[in-house]
Amino acid sequence: MMDRNTIKDTGILEQYLLGELSEEQSIEIENILKEDKELREYFSKMEDDMEQMALENAITPPVHIKTAILNEVENPSLIGKEKVIISQARKKVSYNFAIAASLATLFLLSSGWLYNQWKNTERTMITLQQETNDLRNRLVNLEDNYKETDKWYQAINQPEVVQLILKGNEKSPNSAAIAYVNHQNKEVILNPKGLSKLKNDKTYQMWADVDGEMINMGVISANQEMITMKYIENAASLNITIEPVGGNDHPTVEQLISNVYL
Amino acid sequence: MKDDLELIRKLQNQDSYALSKVYDLYSGALYGVILRMCKDESLAQDLLQETFMKIWQKSHTYNPDKGKFFTWSYRIARNITLNALRKKNVLIQNEDLSVYKDRSTSEEKEILGLDGSLKKLEPHHQRALELVYFNGLTHREAHEEMDVPLGTFKSYIKQALKKLRESYKEELLIVWIIIEMMR
Repeated sequence: MMDRNTIKDTGILEQYLLGELSEEQSIEIENILKEDKELREYFSKMEDDMEQMALENAITPPVHIKTAILNEVENPSLIGKEKVIISQARKKVSYNFAIAASLATLFLLSSGWLYNQWKNTERTMITLQQETNDLRNRLVNLEDNYKETDKWYQAINQPEVVQLILKGNEKSPNSAAIAYVNHQNKEVILNPKGLSKLKNDKTYQMWADVDGEMINMGVISANQEMITMKYIENAASLNITIEPVGGNDHPTVEQLISNVYL
Repeated sequence: MKDDLELIRKLQNQDSYALSKVYDLYSGALYGVILRMCKDESLAQDLLQETFMKIWQKSHTYNPDKGKFFTWSYRIARNITLNALRKKNVLIQNEDLSVYKDRSTSEEKEILGLDGSLKKLEPHHQRALELVYFNGLTHREAHEEMDVPLGTFKSYIKQALKKLRESYKEELLIVWIIIEMMR
């Protein structure tokens, strides 16, 4: 009998695994393996590797083989006629297979088409949604604008409101502002749009003349259509001066550009 | 890679569902061997069927103590295929030899090309394993085919298996690392 290392070296285990050995030799190897645990483990690892290698190199056989095998196993009486039956079964199987394949193709095509349709619809939906949002935003803006305009309109379109034009003097001949004074509600609204543009470090400021004293009515911020100014009781006149940005405590009289008596 | 002994016991008790399971597990691996041996799809399909019929009929003779179920199945497939090729060779010798010779075109070689860790081995190791395992040659035939002494050929096989084992270990390690990382 051979010892463990000789067996490993001769490669006889590999031949045994592959089924190359004669029956006598195989039985001899089987007996040795039965006795030698370490050798058995060595062989078992070899088996694992070969199996792994075979699995890695597997090729999937056609489906009809499995069907044929199971048919044959479940109807053993037919074994005698196996050749005929197998070929018939194969034809039938391939016929069924063709039907299944065409159905599958049809299904695939229609799924593709549906998928496309769905994608198209999705795109349209997104566009529509964007448009709707856009419209909604525009509506909100319009509404705000309208409310703003309406507010001013309501404020100035009343019988008790006095409309005063503040024309620019020689310092600013092209300027003109409109003041709406409501003595009942004690409101002054100014439309400064007609005032000439100033440098960035200057601003217009409005003053009320009460008994010879100029009282601040507020800074006229640029780029506005309508501004509410402070209402001052017993004002004799309204005056506009040019002041440094942020406004002044006392009017720079030399920079008076317009005044109007009430 | 432990065998499912419960499944094999059911197969031995002629449970056709177990056969179906065994087929799902091993048909690809066995078909890969058979097709590489005979290089003829329609013949390979018949032989695969024959192999599984034999596995079914002879399953009671399989003894788990003697080796793995796949080894046992592999031997059946290999023997059936070699027998069929021998018969075919006798037939072909009466006709045209070139028919048989022309079979292994480069196109077929590509389809039947080997995969997995085997591909990473050095060419002579790969070739040696391919000849005995996938082409069904005996060690004696294979060493002549490769034109090296039998002893050298045997060491090729041994080294090839060793390398294969190392690469499987490496793969296992990588899989283990991936699993650990996923936790």
